Parts: sequence; structure tokens; C-alpha cells
Amino acid sequence: MEKAKVDFAVGLNAYETVEEIVDKCVEAERLGLDYVWIGDSPPHLYCPSVAAAVASRTKKIRIGLGLLSTLLHTPDQISGGITPLIEAYGDRFEICLGVGDRSQLSRVGIDSKLVRVWDHVLKAKRKIARSLRASGLTTKIWLGAQGPRMLAASKSFDGVLINYASPKMIKWAMDKIEPVARKDFDLGIYAPSYVYREWHLQAYRLLRVASAVVALGAPTAVLDGFGFSKRLRRAKKEHESGLRIESVVKHVPAEVVDSFSIYTPSSRLRSYLSELGDLGISHIVFGFPQNLSKITIRDLASALPFP
Amino acid sequence: MAIQFSKLTERGSLNCIWIGEDLNAQREIFTVASIILLETSRVNVGIRVTSPLARNISTIARASATLSQIGRGRFRLGLDAARPNALMRDATTLLRRIWRGETVTFTSDNFRLSNYYARYKASFAMPIYFGVREPELLALAGETADGVILSGPRKYIEKAVAIVDEGLRKGKRSRRSFRVVVWVPTVIVAKKSDVNSARQEVATALADTPKAVLEMADIAQERVKPIKAVMAEKGVNGASRIVAEDLLQEVAIYGSPEEIALDLRSLEKYGIDEAIFGPPYGRKPVKAIEEMAQAWKKLR
Repeated sequence: MEKAKVDFAVGLNAYETVEEIVDKCVEAERLGLDYVWIGDSPPHLYCPSVAAAVASRTKKIRIGLGLLSTLLHTPDQISGGITPLIEAYGDRFEICLGVGDRSQLSRVGIDSKLVRVWDHVLKAKRKIARSLRASGLTTKIWLGAQGPRMLAASKSFDGVLINYASPKMIKWAMDKIEPVARKDFDLGIYAPSYVYREWHLQAYRLLRVASAVVALGAPTAVLDGFGFSKRLRRAKKEHESGLRIESVVKHVPAEVVDSFSIYTPSSRLRSYLSELGDLGISHIVFGFPQNLSKITIRDLASALPFP
Repeated sequence: MAIQFSKLTERGSLNCIWIGEDLNAQREIFTVASIILLETSRVNVGIRVTSPLARNISTIARASATLSQIGRGRFRLGLDAARPNALMRDATTLLRRIWRGETVTFTSDNFRLSNYYARYKASFAMPIYFGVREPELLALAGETADGVILSGPRKYIEKAVAIVDEGLRKGKRSRRSFRVVVWVPTVIVAKKSDVNSARQEVATALADTPKAVLEMADIAQERVKPIKAVMAEKGVNGASRIVAEDLLQEVAIYGSPEEIALDLRSLEKYGIDEAIFGPPYGRKPVKAIEEMAQAWKKLR
């Protein structure tokens, strides 16, 4: 596959204060990152409002909203959120749709097992695109995907953000997407990340927790496909019993963590990025805990191959 | 348009901009409110009103907390639901528990939370206003909310305030820490024909007014039935033509900016803390708001 220009992004989890998130986004823009992605989850701040605050203090960095769960927000609420943002701050916004963290959804009374999620997300995407078109607006709509059905559905979107990081797994995912020859389709990954110049135990622990959350929420087809199911059985059982993730993480093997995250010293990042480039990945979102502080964001930026 | 309104409001002497939710609108109300808070620095911004059922209750909680942070305490949440008291009581209790940082487990017909807790901090106070009309809900507003947004004929407003006061007494709460807000359709009239837009607003309001509210306002249902019927058949233009003068006076305020300001001020006698200069404003809404803000400033 032809190498595309790669966009680099940092993902922000909106549990800090709005001011702290905005400061980090201002720093990301100063450092030359192409995107910030503002996460959205029931225990966090409200993504469209945080995105507005970020847009009001930055000039050109693109702002991704998501993953926005279509089980939590209606298509009208999603298109109605993006519309005033574009009207007020210009065409700098993109959205990523998906199911979201099923355990968090279940805490707020949403049972994701009651719907065919790939179908639900696809219908929502179509409705959102229609509403935006009716207002004379367009925006790139990504799909956040892991399992085979969601990956297959991604060809109806403008791009896919795959939620794991190992090249072997990404290649597996790409086979499920089928060759999408469209020039306007982007392949991306959004994974827990820790790219470091100086290694810190706290950040590493947070990376393990973030990766464990993603791994434990991964569809069975993904876990089976890579032989992780058996190795995650105990952790999954404990997690489902309500134990806090921090207690469960010790039962998640290190190589599982590695598969779901970008974990590397900054000096080795370029060779990893080169592998992703060979696979045709054109959008990389460095997720939590890369956003831990302005320093960890700077460490990332210093290792990126900006033109 | 909303941002333009807000800036005018802020430049004038007005205290708050209340944004109405239209579920068919292309703009999501919490996002619009955030942009207005970001583009202003003094004026309060309220949502008038959203249903606790329009979004997951956790979403209402976190959207409010985000707006409150953005506005550094200038945000107000208006809630409304045409349902029994339990819904509003539960919604208010849940929001406050979430904002306090509690781990919440709760199940009812309308809400289901299980070991849910917010990871953000609710750093500023978030007053909850009930936009309700039925007597039971008015009393509940006095018992549990931080304020109430009233709308309707003047006689109704007077009686509604008394019911809210009863609720306050029942809840052993101080009237001083509670705000009574009244929303009034307002039209600056430059030409005789401008009164038509007030009539249209009144026709729409009356057609949607519950029986209990009409009774409290001493308006016989027989007087409203024809308005509803014509509204259904010919639309608001037709209905506005049969709105009687006394009903127009009861529900709307119109005239010059100075007259409207005086009229709004006169609502103080009912125990109102804040009056909302509501749509349709006038022939040119932006200009009307500007003129209204100036008139209010002079009066103060």
C-alpha cells in the first residue's frame, strides 16, 4: 500500500478540568501536532463543550470529538453538537462514532447487548451526515472499531480508528476491512500510549491500566484471533465481578498490554511509525497516558517525524 | 444569532441569557450554551429548559459541570418534564449526588445507575431551575429546586408564586436563596401591525396551556378552545386573529422599550426576582434586544 502523509494526534481524556485540557491542547498546537481528540465517556466532562473551549483558545489544530457513543447520544444530538462548533470556530472538527466502553455504558443503564451495534452505528452515521448536509456542512466521520463486524462496517465511513497498536493485529484488522481503494478513506489507530524520553513508573502503570481496559473490552473475535482469551480469562472474570480495574490489571499479561498500546522509548518511535506507514496507516492518535502532562506531550512531539 | 444576542445582552445591563431547547433544531443546546459562555464574560447563561429524559442523566450532569467550569459559575440548568413529581425529584437528587462525587446506584422507571461516579470535579455551584406549570410541580420546585421559571397569564403567575412559597415553607427553605423567574413573550411595537406577532405568540402559548394553569388564571377553557381549533385548522396566523384583547394583555407585554421595561418591573409586585424578555422581541430581534437592554439600564 502506498505511504500516505501521516497525521499525528494526542487523545485527551476529559476528566481533568476544562482549563487543564485546553492548556494541553494549546501546547499540542504549539508543538505542531495535527490533531487533538477529545474523549467522551459517562464519567468524563462533556466532549462538545470541551471541544468548544479548545477551539476558542487554538487557531488551526484540528479537533476530533470522540469516540462518541451512538448508544449514549442520538444522531440529532451529535449533528446538533458539531453544527454550532463549525459555525462558531470554522471547519476544524471531526467525529469518531462507535459503541464506547461497554462497562461504563452499563453503569449508566445502557445495555449494549440489546442492539446490533454495527448496524446501530451505521444508521446513526447516515443520519448525522444527512443532518449536516441539510445545514450545508460536512465533517469527516470516523468509526472506532475493533471486531470484524465493526471493521467491515467502516467502509461506509470516511475513516476507521482501530483500537489496538501491534502491526500484526492492525494487519489482521485491515484484512477484515477489505481493500478500501477510496482516496478519501483514512486508516488510523487510537491506542493507549506511552512514548518516553525518561521512563516513569507512574505513567507506565497508567498505560497498563488503560491498555487493560481496552483489552478487556475487546470483542471475543479479536481476543480469540490472537490467543488472548484464555490468558485474560481471570482478569475478565474479576473485572466483570465489579473489581476495580487497578486491582485486575495484575492479571493482564504484559504482551497483551503491548499489543493494545504504543509503548516505546522516543528513540525507537520512528521505526514503529515506519512499520505503520508500510501498512498504510495515515492517522495516529496517541491516547492516555501520553496526555498525562505537557512534558509527556512534549516527549512525544520531540520524537515525531514532522516534515 | 445566539452569540450576537449574548454579546448585546452582555453589553447592556441584562443579567442572564436563557436559551430555549428545540428538539428539532440543528443546534444542540449544551454546545450552544458553551459557545455563548466562552464568548461572554459577565452574563449568566441558562438553559430554559431541557427534559431530564432527553439525555442520559449522567450526560446532563457532566454537560452542566462542563458548562459551569467554562463559565466559572455562570451556568444555570433549567429542567422540565410533563411527568409526575417523582421524575423531577429523582432527577434533581441524582444530579446533585453525581456533582457531589458520590458513587450512585439507583433504579426507577426513568433512571438506572449502577456504581456510577463522575471522574470530573464539579467545582462551581450549578443551580437547578424547574420550568414547570402544574401546581404540584410548582410546590416541588419550592421544596427542592434552586429556582423556578414561570410562564403564563399574570393571574396565574401571582398564584404560582404563592404555591412555590408554600413549597419553600414545606421544605423549610429560605426564599432568599431561591429565584423566581418569569418568562414573558415581549414585542417592541413600532407599527400597529407589530402587535400581530405578540398575538401569534399568545395564541401559541394559550393553545399549549394546561387546564390547571387556565383555571388558576381564571380563564375559561371555552375561550381557549376556539384558538386551539383554529390553530389546528389554519395555523398560528389564523389563531392569532381570534385572540381577545384581554388575553393578549394577560399573557404578553408589548409597547415601546420604555413601556416594556416598566411593565416587566411591575412584575416585582408578584415576588418575581427576574423577568425574561422573551421572543418574538420585535420586527428586528437584534435591534429590539439592544433597545430593550438600553431601556432597562435607564430604568435601573
